[in-house]
Amino acid sequence: MKNKTTLLKVLSSMKNCRLQIAVSLLCSVISVLCALYIPVTAGKAIDLLVYSKPVDFTQIKKYIIVIVCLAAAAGLLQWIINAINNRVAYITVRDLRNKAVSKICVLPVSYIDGASAGDIVSRVISDADQLSDGLIMGFSQLFTGIFTAVCTLVFMVRINVTIALAVVILTPLSLLIARFIAFRTHSMFRAQSESRGKQTAIIDESITNRKVISAYSAEDKFISDFDELNDEFAENSLKAVFFSSITNPSTRFVNNMIYAVVALTGALGCLTGNITVGSLSVFLSYAGQYAKPFNEISGVIAEFQNALACAERLFEIIEARPDTPDRENAAELIHAEGNIKAENVCFSYVPGSKLIENLNISVKQGEQIAIVGPTGCGKTTIINLLMRFYDVQSGRITLDGLDIKDIKRKSLRSNYGMVLQETWIKTGTVRDNIAIGKPNATDEEIILAAKSAHAHSFIMKLPDGYNTVISDDTGGLSQGQKQLLCIARVLLSLPEIIILDEATSSIDTRTELKIRKAFKKLTDGKTSFIVAHRLSTVKNSDLILVMKDGNIIEQGSHDELMKRHGFYEELYSSRVY
Amino acid sequence: MIKILKYSKGSKPLYVLAPLFKMLEAVLELTVPLIIAEIIDNGIITGNKQYIIKLSIQLVILGAVGLVFSITAQYFAARAAVTTVKKAKKSLFEKIQSLSFSQLDKTGGSALITRLTADMDSVQNGINLTLRLLLRSPFVVAGACVMAYRVDGVSSLVFAGTVPVLCIIIIAIMSVTVSLFGKVRGALDKVLISVRESVTGARVIRAFCKEEETEKEFNILNDILTHFQLVTGRVSALLNPLTQAAVNIGIAVLIYTGAIRVNAGFITAGAVVALYNYMSQILVELVKFANLIISITKSLACAKRISAVLDLTDETSGNSPEDFFSDSYIEFRNVTFSYSKGAAPALKNVSFRIDKGDKVGIIGSTGSGKTTLINLLCGFYKPDSGEIYIGGKSISGYSPEELRSLTSVCEQKPCIFKGTVRSNITLGNTDATDKEIADALEISQAASFVNEKEGKTDAVCEQGGINFSGGQRQRLAIARALLKKSEILILDDSFSALDYQTEAKLRNALSGVKGKTLFVISQRTGSITDCDKIIVLEDGEADTGSHESLLESNETYREIHRTQFDEEAEAV
Repeated sequence: MKNKTTLLKVLSSMKNCRLQIAVSLLCSVISVLCALYIPVTAGKAIDLLVYSKPVDFTQIKKYIIVIVCLAAAAGLLQWIINAINNRVAYITVRDLRNKAVSKICVLPVSYIDGASAGDIVSRVISDADQLSDGLIMGFSQLFTGIFTAVCTLVFMVRINVTIALAVVILTPLSLLIARFIAFRTHSMFRAQSESRGKQTAIIDESITNRKVISAYSAEDKFISDFDELNDEFAENSLKAVFFSSITNPSTRFVNNMIYAVVALTGALGCLTGNITVGSLSVFLSYAGQYAKPFNEISGVIAEFQNALACAERLFEIIEARPDTPDRENAAELIHAEGNIKAENVCFSYVPGSKLIENLNISVKQGEQIAIVGPTGCGKTTIINLLMRFYDVQSGRITLDGLDIKDIKRKSLRSNYGMVLQETWIKTGTVRDNIAIGKPNATDEEIILAAKSAHAHSFIMKLPDGYNTVISDDTGGLSQGQKQLLCIARVLLSLPEIIILDEATSSIDTRTELKIRKAFKKLTDGKTSFIVAHRLSTVKNSDLILVMKDGNIIEQGSHDELMKRHGFYEELYSSRVY
Repeated sequence: MIKILKYSKGSKPLYVLAPLFKMLEAVLELTVPLIIAEIIDNGIITGNKQYIIKLSIQLVILGAVGLVFSITAQYFAARAAVTTVKKAKKSLFEKIQSLSFSQLDKTGGSALITRLTADMDSVQNGINLTLRLLLRSPFVVAGACVMAYRVDGVSSLVFAGTVPVLCIIIIAIMSVTVSLFGKVRGALDKVLISVRESVTGARVIRAFCKEEETEKEFNILNDILTHFQLVTGRVSALLNPLTQAAVNIGIAVLIYTGAIRVNAGFITAGAVVALYNYMSQILVELVKFANLIISITKSLACAKRISAVLDLTDETSGNSPEDFFSDSYIEFRNVTFSYSKGAAPALKNVSFRIDKGDKVGIIGSTGSGKTTLINLLCGFYKPDSGEIYIGGKSISGYSPEELRSLTSVCEQKPCIFKGTVRSNITLGNTDATDKEIADALEISQAASFVNEKEGKTDAVCEQGGINFSGGQRQRLAIARALLKKSEILILDDSFSALDYQTEAKLRNALSGVKGKTLFVISQRTGSITDCDKIIVLEDGEADTGSHESLLESNETYREIHRTQFDEEAEAV
């Protein structure tokens, strides 16, 4: 059963807390004994009132001191149990979250491209939260519940074995019902989690793109889409919450039936003289007490169902297949020379539909390669392949004569520096954002990089200069300014091979011209790839690859291509100025 | 919490019925001991077998009725919680859609996402549990106290002393933990942002080999969260032991005073037994109650955070303009604006006038204020000072809806929503006919690739449009802007990802679109030379004129033009 394996996984992730769990268990036993012993002592004290005249105050005082001590001990133990249980649950969930994020960091880019950020976030945040709640509830109520049941059982057996046996045989009924309901509700909780994920996705999308939504007055459309998912969530949630909450009343009903059976058999037993009235009343009170933990346990089981359904979603991320690991004898490439070859490379994002076919490129150290072509022809895909964001389906790409699959991913990527058209700003200071590729950079180096990227002047205008905290959704930073920050990043990190994928698309030509100087210095003697549609930017490249529909249809220098009077010339002469 | 409860409108009966049925069930439970007493007194003692069986059947019936009551109560409680939260979510979502952009910048997108998801879940859970148990427990405690008073007035003083102590413990712990839970939630927000960034920044993180750092940073935030959770847990874990200890000590006191009173002959030993039983009943009820209180405190903390967003009010523009009307179609009059306090102004004292039907070019360096100008024109942000007029009327005289129907912006970073090509491009005009859609796709040069897709205009768009290239997304965004019927069309550097050929075709097709006032933001003088008016922005300051006059008078414009002209000369 899927449920069971999830449970096992949750349990095995608590391995490190074995000692704490053991202590918590031990404390539970003692505190239950204390709690059960208090009524016994109180009963003895009351007996003194009934049978001794005048009342033996010295004895009563003794009992009262015992009660107070027991109460204090039980309270202290309980606090320790709670504290330990909280610790176990929170630490377990913390570790799971850490695992999830470290998995996210090694997931293939294709997995992330194909998932919605909102759904992943919902798994790591909400689902994990529900799991920790479930764990705490499970620990704090399950253990004490079981011990209370066991102890009362012992007391009952001591009074009357046959009736005790009847109770013992009947009680599992309530557990069976609880299990039955739990089994049925699992899929409902799962549905609830799923619609929560869907809802989170639309919330995420609509909040990040608020500006566009309001520019098109499309609020109503999103509100109605949201409403639809909101209804769906409410419906699933109602089902899950309600059906799981039937557990408690149902088991209570079973227990009430047991109570009635005990009353009936006991009372009839009294008539035949098998049991005294006094023992019957004690027995009945124990039967009630015995049933209570089962109620609690069944309640916990229901809560736990939800927690398990959530855990399942969390584990889906933790267990998602990471990028194929680096080969065992993969090479560590510290300073690549930058000789790159693509041999008969075929690739497509969707199996069946062709994109790049039989791609052959040969690049020597220090060359500048430009990739041009109409939008959507596969320029960015080549970058994805070079940096191994995606793996080629056939053929191979080599760097310095090594198949890039034989190079450790990290060392491959650390040789590259890239600026993409899609900017990404991490929440943090401007300084941290620039220094992302070189965390130990000095302030002077950072400022120098920012100056070369022409970002210094606008950074100084931010409220706290380089210490201003920015994020992707910060207002006030224009697309071009974000791009300048990304350029400063690469200028600071001084990579061996440079990739500029429409790196200056949002930057004005005047600034671009100035930055180009910085780029020239950066790419001097190094291999670089430039994807651009401003052909003037790439004219001086050593090799220009002209792409169309996933194929390289022409390649050569600017002059060679112009002479050929082919597609490149057509592209070049269609520029309007 | 109270603010959230206003969404209970319409489900009010549920809020009464759920606890009511819970109470009925409790009453039934309380009658069970009476029936047992009856069995013992009148059944066993008189040896009436029939009577015993009859009463046992009564017990079964009571159980069955209790089951029905209780399931009914659970249903009403679940329904009340779910519908209330559903309404609250809806209204929060709508509220977020109506927040101004400066408010949105301030609150942050991720924070709002948590309000709508995790916080709401917690509130739903809180309402559900409250309805199920909150009334039941105080009811049982109060009932026990009343019964105790009836048994012995003096001894019931012990109850009168214990109950306030319990209340104080509960209130004290709740008030401490509510603020602690707030801190936990705050830490959770940071963890959420971190998770989000590890997903959205996947490429950059991998390119810079920052996987380990990302993990480390997350671990630190996660540790902070765990720390707050543990502290909160330790405090709230005090609740149960403290209340139970209080009751147990109450029992000790009760027995001692009982002993004195029995000794003096005021009450019987049986009365002490009864009093003791009532105290035990309170004890049992408190265990349930303590678990509930923790959940309620949690959801109170969440409700507080939700209310904070719901309470955000639109900053009013404050002083109404000196002149409400302008004799130009569009006018900026001494407009100054900065995104946040302390930041240098993004626009300084900008003034210009535009006539209807004009084609306006906006040019300037990166960060010179081009997009800001558009943000203000569309009313996304309000100027710090100065006035903006559209259609001869101050924009403060328009409702946000009216203002937005006047303008249509094609954004710089095109964002494509999950859905279909059609649902994306008809965002601003859901009634667009097939003909209009086809025309818009034709003009935006999107027709060719859309027609190649399976399903054509009904082709699926993934979230963020990741199944389209950057240039394709931009063309879809242009089609979307064209389809929206508005007087003013703004293209905010919308050709940046397009190749020359496509851009040339698009530009050509666009010049055929008549009757709209067109704003073109560009970085190239070449694409705006034919504009009726050109606004040059440099460091937030504006200069206006025609291509020729600006070449003559504006140093920045001349320089921009020269760099491109040189490039051109170099190219030939």
